[in-house]
Amino acid sequence: MKKVDKKWVLLCSTAIAAVYSAGYYTTESQAAVQPIQQHIVSNLQKNNDSLNGTGKKVVNSQKNKLYKDGTFTGSGWNRRGSIGVQVTIKNDKIKDVEISDFAMHYSESDVVGLPDEVLKKQNAQVMNVSGATYSTQAFQDAVQEALDQARNA
Amino acid sequence: MTIQKWIKTPKGYVTATLVSYLIIASIGSKNIMGVKNGIIAICLAFVVDFLYCRMKNRKSSKDSTVITGLFISLILSFTTPWQIVAGTAVIAILSKHLLVYKKKPIFNPAAVGLLLSIFIFQTGQSWWGAFGDLPAWTIIFLVIGGYLITDRVNKFPQVLSFLGTFFVLLLLMGMLNVGNAADAFRPPFINATLFFSFFMLTDPPTSPAKYKNQVLFGILSAVSGVLVYGIFGGLTYLFIGLFIGNIYSYLQKRSSSKATVLTQNVKTQYQTRTSRNACR
Repeated sequence: MKKVDKKWVLLCSTAIAAVYSAGYYTTESQAAVQPIQQHIVSNLQKNNDSLNGTGKKVVNSQKNKLYKDGTFTGSGWNRRGSIGVQVTIKNDKIKDVEISDFAMHYSESDVVGLPDEVLKKQNAQVMNVSGATYSTQAFQDAVQEALDQARNA
Repeated sequence: MTIQKWIKTPKGYVTATLVSYLIIASIGSKNIMGVKNGIIAICLAFVVDFLYCRMKNRKSSKDSTVITGLFISLILSFTTPWQIVAGTAVIAILSKHLLVYKKKPIFNPAAVGLLLSIFIFQTGQSWWGAFGDLPAWTIIFLVIGGYLITDRVNKFPQVLSFLGTFFVLLLLMGMLNVGNAADAFRPPFINATLFFSFFMLTDPPTSPAKYKNQVLFGILSAVSGVLVYGIFGGLTYLFIGLFIGNIYSYLQKRSSSKATVLTQNVKTQYQTRTSRNACR
């Protein structure tokens, strides 16, 4: 069969590149919104904690503790999506970890056992046993961010 | 066949390009696990292919077996356990031999293995071999390699109609704020789309040869792929889109084959009648 004229290939490729560019710029605001929203949520949590009256009391009464008591949110994201978590701490112990938002392009079942692993290990360093590197990394980052917020200054 | 001659064949082109991608991506990610997975996938694919062909007394295409193994190792995350890589390769080779029409595979074998591995093994597909984790400028490697392959197998109408329809639909999704079009325009998803359209969509046995059919194949694959992405998200959309195209190609081949048989029958009947009349 006769090969396609290269001029047509060039013309069509240019048109496709133009549509791609239009799509890229149209969705730029949507692409930027996701991580920013996650940050706003975690910052709100942080601000609420430091602004309310009890917050100060808690900090004063827990000067010798590594973490403040309470529930803290954190988020982790990479090129494959984002994960949001809520970590509850009491008396320097991680009492509960919940995945509050799962927006990865992979299955949520990949990370379903990770909260229990955090409770067991009492830190964010979970094992990547399933090969789900990106989801595990995002989860670790989210838990670490929550723990960083809970840390006493 | 000498190496110089082999490398100029379509399968030689694809194999050389995929091997070079495996090397570039391994250097870029500073990890040799992908190469290890590549060797496992190719070896397992060879073993299953050899055993099946021996049992059924069939000829085996070694090039396509290597290509299937390479696709699997470049698309599955390099942290995937070796047993899962092996399992995916086995499924792919079995589909190559079992889902056939006139001894040619109906569906792209690597795509079947990779799609089923998502449901069976819950594999995380990173498309690392399409440079999804490397800086955006590395996409240039995909475009250069993809252009050479597409030109060699004469599939420009298919690739261009696929990419054109795919991006127009995603643009509409982005404008209407439906689904997650933003991700699809950006790495690693754009890398996956380009790699897929240049190397998997253009597989000669599972796609049509005529230009008109190539255009329809590309449009069908893109529409179904974007629909799956818009409704379900995830990473299955490219493979499902390809299968819809593969089914279209299969139906085309079947109908044209039936038409050929019908024409031959009519011709035979006509010849028999003419010879009978001549005898009288």
